[in-house]
Amino acid sequence: MRLRFSPTVFAVAFSLVYAVVFAFDRPLFRYYPLHGDFNWGNAVIKDAGPAMSWYGFMADSAIVALIAAVLIPDALADRVLRNKVWLIPGAAMLLVVYLLRQFFVGRALG
Amino acid sequence: MNSALLLLHMLVGVFLLGAITHQLVASIPRRAARNGTFIDRYTSVNRTTFTAVVAGLYVAGVVLGAMIYPKYRLDVRVPFEDLGLAWAVGLFEVKEHFAGIGLALLPLYVWLWRPERLQSHRRDRIAVTAILGLIVWNDFLVGHILNNIRGFG
Repeated sequence: MRLRFSPTVFAVAFSLVYAVVFAFDRPLFRYYPLHGDFNWGNAVIKDAGPAMSWYGFMADSAIVALIAAVLIPDALADRVLRNKVWLIPGAAMLLVVYLLRQFFVGRALG
Repeated sequence: MNSALLLLHMLVGVFLLGAITHQLVASIPRRAARNGTFIDRYTSVNRTTFTAVVAGLYVAGVVLGAMIYPKYRLDVRVPFEDLGLAWAVGLFEVKEHFAGIGLALLPLYVWLWRPERLQSHRRDRIAVTAILGLIVWNDFLVGHILNNIRGFG
């Protein structure tokens, strides 16, 4: 059996999952660069230094998007989303900026 | 080592900026007759030849960025936080999230630039290329600004 990969579904699923896991702070894992520690899930380890969630967000999104891109036929996605697909990653980017607004208009630190 | 990687990351960004901007500008339909001006020459390239280069450079840029990211988190972001530079931290946050979403757009971008889809998916192709161009410009300028505030040293 030949696996078919849908670039349209991958882009859409990745953008949607990324926006959701970022909005709800649900990385697959966090990385603590001070000592090189990894921790599964979104629990924060105290006294481990600064945590990094980006790799975990990417892993979440890539895994779900990869599965969706193999399972959902490209023809179906193309029929529904042709010449509209860009709206979804665009909306995900706008949501990310909105969720980060406290860095620019409020007191995000300390 | 990290400074060398940062420099390479920046150089990849320069090439990527040039390639995707050239492709995007050449993709915008123009009504005016071609009369040999700089813009005519600039836009009269084979746009599809940029695709593999853009995708390759984008992946290289993200991989290099991911490699130096821990150094930023410890030696750059912490001082930003101590100095109360929330906007600088926010700019980097936008940069990293945009870069991640852009990475996921690459298979679609390559697919949209295949010759058989040049007519049928025109709007998606220009829009996805423009989104990638926006990400590349934003991330390059933000990286430059943050490095001006505090580089790796």
